[in-house]
Formats: sequence, structure tokens, C-alpha cells
Amino acid sequence: MTQTTVVRTKDRASRTIEGLRKFWRVFSQNTAAVIGLTMFLIILTIAILAPWIAPYDPYEKVGLPMQPPNEAHLLGTNDVGQDILSELIYGSRISLLIGFIAAVVATLIGTLVGMIAGYYGGLVDEALMRATDVWLSFPGLLLTIFLATVLIKTPIGGKIIYTVIFAIALNAWPGVARLVRSVTLKIKELPYIEAARAIGASNRRILLKHIIPNATPIILVAVLTRIDSAMLTEASLSFLGIGDPTVKSWGMIIHYAMIRNAIVIGMWWWFIPPGLMISLSVLSIILISMGIEEYINPRLRESM
Amino acid sequence: MKKLLIRRAITSLITFFSAITIVFIISRLSGDPLAELLENPEVSPETVEALRRAFGLDKPLHMQYINFLIATLSGQLGYSINYKRPVLDVLIAKLPYTIALLIPAITLSNYFAYRLGVESGWRRGRKFDVLLTSSSLFIRATPHFWLAILFLYVFGAVLNWAPLFGAVTPGKVFESPWEWLLDYLWHYILPVSVITIRATGAMFLYIRNSLVEVLGEDYIMAAMAKGLPDKIVLYKHAARNALLPAVTMMGLRYAFIIDGAVLTETVFSYPGTGRLVFEAIIFRDYYLLQGAIIILTTSVILVNFLIDILYLYLDPRVRYR
Repeated sequence: MTQTTVVRTKDRASRTIEGLRKFWRVFSQNTAAVIGLTMFLIILTIAILAPWIAPYDPYEKVGLPMQPPNEAHLLGTNDVGQDILSELIYGSRISLLIGFIAAVVATLIGTLVGMIAGYYGGLVDEALMRATDVWLSFPGLLLTIFLATVLIKTPIGGKIIYTVIFAIALNAWPGVARLVRSVTLKIKELPYIEAARAIGASNRRILLKHIIPNATPIILVAVLTRIDSAMLTEASLSFLGIGDPTVKSWGMIIHYAMIRNAIVIGMWWWFIPPGLMISLSVLSIILISMGIEEYINPRLRESM
Repeated sequence: MKKLLIRRAITSLITFFSAITIVFIISRLSGDPLAELLENPEVSPETVEALRRAFGLDKPLHMQYINFLIATLSGQLGYSINYKRPVLDVLIAKLPYTIALLIPAITLSNYFAYRLGVESGWRRGRKFDVLLTSSSLFIRATPHFWLAILFLYVFGAVLNWAPLFGAVTPGKVFESPWEWLLDYLWHYILPVSVITIRATGAMFLYIRNSLVEVLGEDYIMAAMAKGLPDKIVLYKHAARNALLPAVTMMGLRYAFIIDGAVLTETVFSYPGTGRLVFEAIIFRDYYLLQGAIIILTTSVILVNFLIDILYLYLDPRVRYR
């Protein structure tokens, strides 16, 4: 008995590796996706190594204020004399982290809603999908702004950053819910689910042991494709001044640049680099998602 | 047909009430709305109690909800602490500026996305297509507010071609309506371009991919085999069918464009409803924010309803079912 289990897990591991290899063969053919992956890995490395590669502490006043780029400060300083390059390098941590966690939370909520709607069907499905439609009829950013401003009064766990993540996730779940619902509907009709039901497996067991494992690849892709919009939403919220004013994400740097009139004064080194960083990170994730989508849906390969 | 219309109208109404209910639930999420006043030493506890009774906050939650519904439907959206006027008055005063931005932005972006998407899909894989497809990806990855900042910096601050803020030059006396219009357009051109470009970038790829898919259909090959000119095959046969799925996306795009207007008006200090949202955040003008969301969401639901009707006319399969 134990032996068969061991053999089976080994089988599954080798199957996963083989699947990944097959995926890489298709993915690496897509030049844009490989460029995206490279860009993303570079930005991720910067985020991880931030304390070692940043020339200064981004929260300390380390030079004269409002200096244009020079040898000591490669991207100049802001209105209080903080080093902008260091702000950018540390900002990558916050922007990536918020984008990633918000995408994960959104996917969790969406998966739960979509799976319940798809599996139970009928009235439950009708009610949940109606709710999803209503949610989609809000202008998404405005709803997030509203949620965040209300929730920030009593922050989750005492931290504004958690509240912002939660507000972004609450905006992004409907897309995931629709996706997971359609996948669940398909899996539900497969013969082995019927077999499981015939031997008396409970709904909970079927959902947890049979449907979730089969939907996992699609759920993982859903997380990835939500990171880009989550990062853009975070940037917009910070830019509008919603967020922890003491935590410097790229959007928050631009917020300070705007309210201190950097655009009109012409301090381009203060607001151009953080915007470029946001665009490049979001672009890298879009390119990677397109590569993965192409693998999942081969019909797309012909259209590009 | 009539039955379908009525059904769509009822669905829209349900959506509207659900949206207002969600706004009510969110507004109660933070607990006591008067908690901040209770901590304020300048406000006596008696005043807070009086306010509580005046706002009906001492009543049970379901009564509060019913009152909220009635108030919203009769246009009582609360009082703006920043403007010291009813929220609805403030919103209505600023709404024309935003509508004047939105209508051309929606029309132009749909037109550009349609034309460019169709032409690009037709030239699949060639230079024109690669260039447009990659620039649309760049536009999609660029934060809306940052695109606006770039425009303001380059055309406003550096080149000095356009003004740096506002909808008209403040304090200027206009001798004729034409002069006013010229000044208005001079302030208008940058914000409307930013919203249009971003919306086109978001919509373009959708139409292009939709067209590429349609071009693979048998009836296109049949049309070509008949010897019809390319232009007729493209616009009379392919583009019309490619447009259908894109029309259903228009409602979502409209919500997206409103989000864009909020950010763009903020950057250009443009005195519309979007800028009000930013001011409401900065001054913690809570009822103003809530009112703006109710008004703008209602407009999204209305536009979605109109698009549904449009779809009924465009798609004969739906019409004759």
C-alpha cells in the first residue's frame, strides 16, 4: 500500500516536470514573453536586493533638496533631500508585494464564489452571478477608492497597507469568479466526478479533492494575470493619496511629486522614473501572461 | 422584441438597486459614522446625539437602509462639508465639464479602436500590425495618471503649448463667446487626448483579435472567392461581425473611461466630477465621495442598458429569437 503511494507521487512529480518542460518549449518560442520574463526577473532581483544595492536610506535626508541628477545622486533628490534612486529601489518591494498579495486575495475570493456558483448551479449560481454583474457595473477604481477610504478609518490589523490590499482585491474578484465558474462547469460534467458521487463522496470532498486540483493551473494563471491590474490600481490609489503616507510605493512617490508641484517646476527626475518603473513592471507581467495564454489556448498562436 | 426590452429594463433596475445597496453596506462597514466627531473635543456629546437623531442613525439598520434608499432616489445625497452645499448641487455644477470630456473621448476612442483594429488585423504580422499592437500594449501598461502627467509636463511645462491647469483662464474677461470657446478648447485638448488615447489602447487589441478570428471563417473565404474587392470583404463582411463582441465590451469600457477621467482631471486640475472625487479624498468630504460614486455608477448602468438595446438592433440573431 505504501509502495504504490510512493510510486504514484513520483509519477505525479515526473509528470509535472514533463508538463513544465513542454510549457517552456512553447513559451520560449514567444520572444515577447521571454523579454517580459527577463524584465520581470530583473525587477524582482532589484526588489529582493534593495537594502544592498540602494545607495542611501530612502527615508533619510541625505543631501540638498531638489538636486537634479548628479554623481552623488544618480536620479537627484526630492523636496526634502531624499535620494530618489533609493526611493525607487525600495519602492519596487512595496509595489510588487501589494500587487502580488492583492492578486492572490482576489483570486481566493473569486475562486470561492466561482466554484460554489458553478458546482451548485441553480438559484445559488443565479444569485452569485447577478452579484458579480452588479459589481462589474461600478467604475472599478471609484469603488476601490470608496472601499479604501471607508475601511482606512478602522484599518485591518492596524495597518493601512492591509486595508489597501483588501480594497484592491475586493475590486478584482469578479473576473476570477466568472473564469473559475466556467471551468467548474466543465469539470463537473466529467465522468470521474459522477463516479465519485456514485460512491457517495460528499460535495465538500468532491470540491476539495477533485475539482480544485484540476482547476489549479487556471487559478495560478488567474493570479498572474491579476498582478498587472492590481499594481496599476495600487499606483492610482497612492497617486490620489489613499494609502500609508509613510510607505513609499512608486505611486506614492508620484503623489508627493504632484502635490509639491514638481511637474510645473520641471523636476522630471522626481516623477518620470517611478512612472517608468510601474509601466515596465506591468508590461512585463502582461507579456508573460500573453505567453502563458498562448500555451493554454493554441488557437491564439495563429492569431498573433 | 418588446419583451426583451422590458426584461433588460427590469435587469437594469435590479442592478441599480443592488448597486445602491452595496454603497449602503460599504458606508456602514467602518462602524459608527459619527465616531470621529465623538473624539473631537470641540463637539459636545449632546451635539453628536442630536446629529445621530437628525441623520436617523439611532434607528435600527433596516430602517436606516430604507431611509437611505428614499433619500437617494429623491436626490438627497447629503451635505458637502468642503463646499458647504448639498452634494447634488455640487455634482450637477461640475457634471457638464466631465460630460464634455467623456462624450468625445468615448466616440473618438471607439472610432479609432475600430478603424485601427480592423486595419491592423487585416495586415496581421506585418510592420503596421506589429507597431500598433506593441504600442497598444505600452499604452495599456502605462498608468493613466502618469500618461496625463507626461502630457502636462511635455506640452504644458516644457513646450508651453497648453495651460497647466483649469478649464478656462481664471480671472480673464472674455469679449465674445468665441473668445471663451477658444480659451476653453485650449484647456480642453490635453485632457481629452489623454483619455482618448488610453481608451483606444485598451479597446484596440480586442477588436483586432476579434477581426483576426472572423477572417478565418469560411464565409470570408467564400466572399473572396467570389472576387469581391478586399475593402468590401473587410468592411462589409468581416468588420461588422468582428464588432459584435466588441459592442458588449463597450459598457465595461465606459466604466474604465470614467476611472480615467477621475485621474486625468486630477492631474490637469480640471474642474469636473472626477476632480471632485480627488478633493473629497483629500478633504475627507465623505458624502461628496459617496454621491459622486452613486451618480457615476448610475450613469454606467444607464449606458449599459443603452448598449444592450443597441446590441438588439445590431445582432439579428437576438432580434428574431
